[in-house]
Amino acid sequence: MKFRLAAVLAVVFIVISHVALAQTKIVTLGASLQLTGNNANLGRYFRDGYQVAVDRINEKGGIAIGGVTYRLALRVLDNQSDLNLGVQQYVQLVTRDKVDFLLGPYSSNDTLNDSSVAEKYRIPMVQGGGAAALIFSRGYKYLFGTAPPAENYFGSTVEMMTKLDPRPRTIALLAADDAFDVSLAKGTRALAAHYGFDIVTDQQYSEHNTDFSATLALVKSKAPDAILWGGHETEALNFIRQAKSLDVNARDMFAITVGVPSADFRKALGKDAEYAFGMSPWLASPLLHDQWFGDGAQFARLFQQRFGYEADYHVASAVSDVETFAYALEAAGTLDKDAVRDAIVKSDFECVYAHVRFGETGQIDLPQIVIQVQDGKIVPIYTDHFLNKPRYPLPPWGKRG
Amino acid sequence: MKGRVALLGLCAVLLALLPLTGDDVLIQYGIDALLFATLAQAWNIIGGFAGYASFGNSSFYGLGTYGTAIAMAQLHLPFWVGLCLGAFLAVVCAVLIGLPILRLRGHYFAIATLGLSATLSAIIANLDISGRNIGLILPLTRNDTMFYELALVLLVAATGTVAWIARSRFGMGLIAIRENEDAAQVMGVNTTLYKVTALVLSAFFTALAGGIHAYWITFIDPASAFDLTLNVRMVIMAMFGGPGTVLGPVIGSFILTFVYQLLASSISTAAALLFGIVIVLAVIFMPRGLWDLAGGLRRLGPRYFLQNIRAHRL
Repeated sequence: MKFRLAAVLAVVFIVISHVALAQTKIVTLGASLQLTGNNANLGRYFRDGYQVAVDRINEKGGIAIGGVTYRLALRVLDNQSDLNLGVQQYVQLVTRDKVDFLLGPYSSNDTLNDSSVAEKYRIPMVQGGGAAALIFSRGYKYLFGTAPPAENYFGSTVEMMTKLDPRPRTIALLAADDAFDVSLAKGTRALAAHYGFDIVTDQQYSEHNTDFSATLALVKSKAPDAILWGGHETEALNFIRQAKSLDVNARDMFAITVGVPSADFRKALGKDAEYAFGMSPWLASPLLHDQWFGDGAQFARLFQQRFGYEADYHVASAVSDVETFAYALEAAGTLDKDAVRDAIVKSDFECVYAHVRFGETGQIDLPQIVIQVQDGKIVPIYTDHFLNKPRYPLPPWGKRG
Repeated sequence: MKGRVALLGLCAVLLALLPLTGDDVLIQYGIDALLFATLAQAWNIIGGFAGYASFGNSSFYGLGTYGTAIAMAQLHLPFWVGLCLGAFLAVVCAVLIGLPILRLRGHYFAIATLGLSATLSAIIANLDISGRNIGLILPLTRNDTMFYELALVLLVAATGTVAWIARSRFGMGLIAIRENEDAAQVMGVNTTLYKVTALVLSAFFTALAGGIHAYWITFIDPASAFDLTLNVRMVIMAMFGGPGTVLGPVIGSFILTFVYQLLASSISTAAALLFGIVIVLAVIFMPRGLWDLAGGLRRLGPRYFLQNIRAHRL
């Protein structure tokens, strides 16, 4: 008897929920992310960023497409940091789960593979996980990127260097040989030439390198005023530790592309992270206005409360990916893939991340904010003018407190 | 015997008709499964028949991948020319490295081949024509059915070759080498020629699979092309199915690919862990593969498992 009642209730519940579903129309965004495996740490940033944006837009009443209100839904699959599985899951999202639009995975390599699925099926994909120039060199029409191009990562840093006292003259440029860092080095060479710096040593090292002693010996012999370094976090940790133990110093400053914005990184290095310059395209600022979150600072608080960790630029760019679709769908007034794609091309809005506009190739262009580690915290230093006083010049290892 | 061939032919025809379902996800899984089966089958020639555990097959795969990619992305040649170039590079490499290192036996051979893919990967990462460490981008094609059918044809060809080997004088020679190389030599088997030929055949099919995969996935870099875990998977799949048999590696790789996909899509997070457990259990209870299990169960029933444990002193 009890069972029968339960069964009846279950059926009633299913019917009601179906009716309820039929009444609200839904746009589904799909992504295959690294929720487990090597890249799980950063995959999580994107999942949480997408989720917080989708939920917030729904709380605020969803979006109006051609006069009808739609809610957003998110479908995330775990590709376990397996490239092949990622590609298959995107095909699954498109053909079997019938998601309407695609959000990207983390990392340039994953994006290179997965975006081909979007292009194959002519479904727009907006992603903030891949910044390498190679991704946007293929003439794809359905792919958009909210991570700024690698070439210009040191743009604001080099500009700042012209205004420092004493002004550095010589640069040691060290970068890895992966797609991102090759673009970075190329862009930095042009920047140095433009601002009249002399690159005294220009070294490429192989990705996943752990021993920097030869490179460091070379740097020491050239005694540069500034070291500009590009690579991944693990390599950065090794480089800095070995620089300390071999007592290799730049006369004035040291800047790296990764690590500084990450709390884990600063914790791992402790005092040795002090004085390091870095960059971020994003800092939680009340000046970043947003239709759904109010502003950047409010967003950061909301995010910290809900997920228990600090949002960084990956999270913010993930939010802007979802908002790109929200704006484009409202502008297009239809779910038609090509109409939405054309609306994304014309994107022009402000959000918690930045002012979103896509260039010719489908990639955003953002200035990087120069930041520095001071007493274990990130301090924004320079955009196109000084925001705070940098700790400068860099004391040699032996004279640090 | 004829019945069995007809049955296999029917299976191949049924597989060839799979794209008619129009289920793109199924086709994706299909391409993956067929390519893996080809890789396992190719490894079977050198590892299963000749008994030389090769960890160099991922290098042949990488050469096939890069041959195709360089031809298409850098020289703007058609796909089939790329496939030929990739296969050619792999065959040349197999001959060049086969002659010196096939003199090594057992563990020494395995270790010598282990270094190969790291070396090639480093060379490729420093050549301009191969796009250095950044990788190469191939043109995008919206035709997964073609890739599926190509992969199927390749698997049929590889399996046909292995079927021929299994019943030829050449195959007997390889088995003799596996069981006792000195005795084989005394009996008049030209061991050097046989071993190099086996490695070349293995390299040939592996490279073709790499070429098809490159064009299908459209982006390659040294890390993905010379991935040693791929070689480990070939070995596991061939061992799981039954090394030195004709159909064992194919069935083994189909089953393992299916199990992996099932775990990845339904249980997700613990997939890799469970996949490992499946392999450990398989090695303990059926160290000679599924093929042996089928015969053993009929003969001994459940005692087959006990006997395996006892025979291998676990």
